[in-house]
Amino acid sequence: MNNGHVVQLENVSKNYRRGSETVHAVSDATLAVARGEYVSVVGHSGSGKTTLMNIMGCLDRPTEGRVTINGHEIQNEGEAGLTRLRQTSIGFVFQQFFLIPTLNVLENVSLPSLFAKRKLNGRARELLEMVGLENRLHHLPGQLSGGEMQRVAIARSLINSPPIILADEPTGNLDSRNADMIMSLFQQLNKDGATIVVVTHNPGIVKGCDRMVHIEDGRIQ
Amino acid sequence: MSFLKVALSNLRRNPVRSMLTGLSLAVSAATLSVVLSLDSGYSSAVTEDLVNKTGVHLYITKEGCPIEAASVIAQGGLSPLYVEEDIVSRFEAMPELAAVMPFKLFAVTTDDGTRTDIFMGVTEAVSEVKPDWQYASGGWFTSPESVILGAEMARIENLNIGERMYVEHFDAEFVVSGILQRNYGQDDGTFFLPLATAQSLVGREGKLSAVALKLKDISHMDTVQNQIRASMPADYFVIGSKELSDGILQFFSSTRAIMFVMVGVAFLISVFGIINTMLMAVLERRREIAYLKCVGAGKYDLLRLISLETTAIAVAGSAVGALLGMVLSPLSGNLLRKFLVAYIPSGAIARPDFGIALTAFAVCTLVGIACSLYPAFRAAKIVPMEVLRNE
Ligand SMILES: Nc1ncnc2c1ncn2[C@@H]1O[C@H](COP(=O)(O)OP(=O)(O)O)[C@@H](O)[C@H]1O
Ligand SMILES: [Mg+2]
Repeated sequence: MNNGHVVQLENVSKNYRRGSETVHAVSDATLAVARGEYVSVVGHSGSGKTTLMNIMGCLDRPTEGRVTINGHEIQNEGEAGLTRLRQTSIGFVFQQFFLIPTLNVLENVSLPSLFAKRKLNGRARELLEMVGLENRLHHLPGQLSGGEMQRVAIARSLINSPPIILADEPTGNLDSRNADMIMSLFQQLNKDGATIVVVTHNPGIVKGCDRMVHIEDGRIQ
Repeated sequence: MSFLKVALSNLRRNPVRSMLTGLSLAVSAATLSVVLSLDSGYSSAVTEDLVNKTGVHLYITKEGCPIEAASVIAQGGLSPLYVEEDIVSRFEAMPELAAVMPFKLFAVTTDDGTRTDIFMGVTEAVSEVKPDWQYASGGWFTSPESVILGAEMARIENLNIGERMYVEHFDAEFVVSGILQRNYGQDDGTFFLPLATAQSLVGREGKLSAVALKLKDISHMDTVQNQIRASMPADYFVIGSKELSDGILQFFSSTRAIMFVMVGVAFLISVFGIINTMLMAVLERRREIAYLKCVGAGKYDLLRLISLETTAIAVAGSAVGALLGMVLSPLSGNLLRKFLVAYIPSGAIARPDFGIALTAFAVCTLVGIACSLYPAFRAAKIVPMEVLRNE
């Protein structure tokens, strides 16, 4: 590359073995996401959205095809290379938040910078201000509402300033009011230049996107 | 934000479990430090008794292994072996010797078996040999029926100078001529008699248990020992007091082996406990660990994180245990005194010190850290995809 694409999938397939049968979770998918683009991925449950996300997020390797993330071809990267890519290039937001229950909000947001061996004084606080949680810094996750937890997770995904944000059904566990807040947060982030790929059923999110990718039975339509 | 902080916060998640894990290591550390204090304490106590307090550098005894000689000299009892008294004159001419003390030692156990008294027949040389031969009152024997009492015996018998002491076993009566000052050694519990009196009491006129020699200059020990050995009939033994205490310490070796086996068992239990607990702690938060990998934690980060958790427990547990061991050592020393058959020294048997505490602490901490390796390795192997398991 670099033709301005931060994520590039070329003829990517992912098969899982389930007992004796092979599940074609993703088949022959080709997709490019440009820098600064806001893309939503929609499809029925079991259609392969999460699998696609995991491959883009260097959590899993494809069975076939080429994947290029922020200029790195992942088939050429070893385990350490993929770890490095996850540290520097990708911010994750999951449906289940995955906050560490024993660390407070500020510490949870700082955690990825610990692994990236970066000293980012004050950045965690800034991000929490940005998501409107400046008065929750020292709360434990258990003391927060679902919407607040997801906002912490979003702040955390941004701590290492990754070029790509991947969100897998970020509003799946939230009521509509909180979902709206997350939705507008993503829109704001995108306006500020972030590249975002979000898997969602939320029509509100889909409306705010630059582009919608539809996936069915592992195939991009 | 630091690895240590994350590790410590994880331990707070289940404080009871963390504490129990630390406690199991504490037990090991305590056991180790108790055993080490007993081990070094016993050797020092025996050496003190037999080398420092007796003031004797060499013993001349009759054939029989040095260990047997050691127990006879140290404990009393009436050995079937004896040294002819006329051998003493050979040493009196030797310029290297400061003192020559022939003695007859025997122990008498009362008929009901509740008490064993040690009698030692001595010549005036005893006051030259023993470094702390000091009278609290009275003085040297005034007649063949005189007796000099060790400080403890005087206290138990409640006797004063000039008073009579009846010994049932021999149906004999003695007059107290002197009472020794306490020296916290075997002498405190000994009855000293004139040599000839002691010999005739047991029907061994002209026979000795051994001859004790004190050198003018201890650095000539080996030369003198060899010289005497060469001039002696083949069935005589020339034993250094150090060899004697080593002989006694050999008796102790089986007790010692048992103690170290105990330490081993304690360690084994805590090792399995720690590995099991830490493994559980890792496996029950697989998803969280997988998540850490998603946000960029590498293999080594997780190794480090999990080892740090265990290390924190190990450091705390070992420190508590080592200190506990220091406190418990004197108690266990007294316990050992009750069961020790080989030789009961007069000084403290358990001698805890800072070095021992430090050793116990270091060993247990290292063991704890070693135990963390497998669970940490398992955590490092968790793949980020596990974050999606059982969704
Ligand atoms: N680890 C796995 N092992 C076996 N099958 C899997 C695994 N992960 C996903 N699948 C299967 O792949 C298909 C796509 O799953 P997924 O990507 O999770 O879909 P979505 O996120 O759109 O609901 C489903 O049929 C699912 O059962
Ligand atoms: Mg999914």
